[in-house]
Amino acid sequence: MKLDPVTLATPFFILAIVLEIVLARLGRARAAYEPRDTAASLLMGLGSTAAGLVTGGLAAAAALYAYQHRLFDIPMTALWAWVVIFLLEDLTYYWFHRLSHERRIWWAAHVNHHSSQHYNLSTALRQTWTGGVAGTWALWLPLAFLGFPPAMIAIQKGISLVYQFWIHTEAIGRTPRWFEAVFNTPSHHRVHHARNPRYLDRNYAGILIVWDKLFGTFQPELDEEPCRYGIVKNLGDFNLLRVAFHEWAGMARDVAAHPRHALGYIFGRPGWSHDGSRDTSRSLRADWAARALSAEESPPP
Amino acid sequence: MSQSFFIQFGASLAAVAALVALAAWAKIAKPMTPLTDERARTLLEQEFPGRRLERIWVAVDGRGALAKSGAAALVLCEVGDGYVARHIPWGQAVASSFRDGVLRLDLSDVAAPLARLALLNWPPSPEPRAA
Ligand SMILES: [Zn+2]
Ligand SMILES: [Zn+2]
Repeated sequence: MKLDPVTLATPFFILAIVLEIVLARLGRARAAYEPRDTAASLLMGLGSTAAGLVTGGLAAAAALYAYQHRLFDIPMTALWAWVVIFLLEDLTYYWFHRLSHERRIWWAAHVNHHSSQHYNLSTALRQTWTGGVAGTWALWLPLAFLGFPPAMIAIQKGISLVYQFWIHTEAIGRTPRWFEAVFNTPSHHRVHHARNPRYLDRNYAGILIVWDKLFGTFQPELDEEPCRYGIVKNLGDFNLLRVAFHEWAGMARDVAAHPRHALGYIFGRPGWSHDGSRDTSRSLRADWAARALSAEESPPP
Repeated sequence: MSQSFFIQFGASLAAVAALVALAAWAKIAKPMTPLTDERARTLLEQEFPGRRLERIWVAVDGRGALAKSGAAALVLCEVGDGYVARHIPWGQAVASSFRDGVLRLDLSDVAAPLARLALLNWPPSPEPRAA
């Protein structure tokens, strides 16, 4: 456990949050903190480490099993192996993250990371309690099956998580252009946390933003459209159980009310409904695009 | 679970408490001022783009608003230093319980079950003034 990058980085996380709060208080950095929101985010983070212990064993056993049936022997000591796993793990993360937004059952496990109306370093620690149950860890099994040692995969996953901490801030505007072009940055990830229709379901990247550019989900942050953070339907309070489980409860409610449409309510896009009465990210984006177009076409007064 | 986990968990819990206390001390939440008619309209337009607001009621404490838009009631409520919005059938809003100057709206949503709005009276007079 000594090599776990997240554990090693925890003191740095705490110091960085202290710094962000103090700088904001002094008016030297852009950041907003609401104490109840901060408490919810940090307790979600703490709870997720405990939840990880419950389901982590199963995920580790599965990774070990896949590794025992591996195709190749990949040495943990080779530099090339680290370069390859960096790219493959980041690609896996992109698809994990995209799936987590595009299918309700996995959105139910991920939504808590987005339900804060704030975007600060504490938001980064707002992690899932139900990711293990949702089973998305299975997406990393092919890496073990290829021959990457499970410890190596775990370390790379940790590095990615630690990298993604610092980008949850409004204190940093834009980084140098070459960096924005290649890496996930505060600016790109602000867009990911925004609920403005044109920003919905964009920028799924972990470390490299190039995957979004490659797969057509990239959206730069626009000065004329400031990010409004949160989810399409924001939460009514800061109750931790609501933060952790509201989408699961909503899904169960829908399945119970419409059992014939259970598959749609579980595996459909978030917001999918059998009668089309609700909004999905796609319909919201389409509405926005249509309004933007008609505003452009109508002559100025 | 090992003893070291509990020590780590306890230390983390203490760190959480300290950070929350620091955030409370810093008073750096987004500034909230009571809603005006104009601000409520702007927020409702953000939440429900393109919806025509026939009539709007801003809470007497400025912490929420309700608007009639066709067959729907658009509800806006303060939560912390932000807002939460939902729409419910207009008939349901009209029939909602109003006691001691507080309208309680059942939003039928696990994510935000209930909205409370402080209003002078409810239900509204059937003769709507021009919005
Ligand atoms: Zn996300
Ligand atoms: Zn994030």
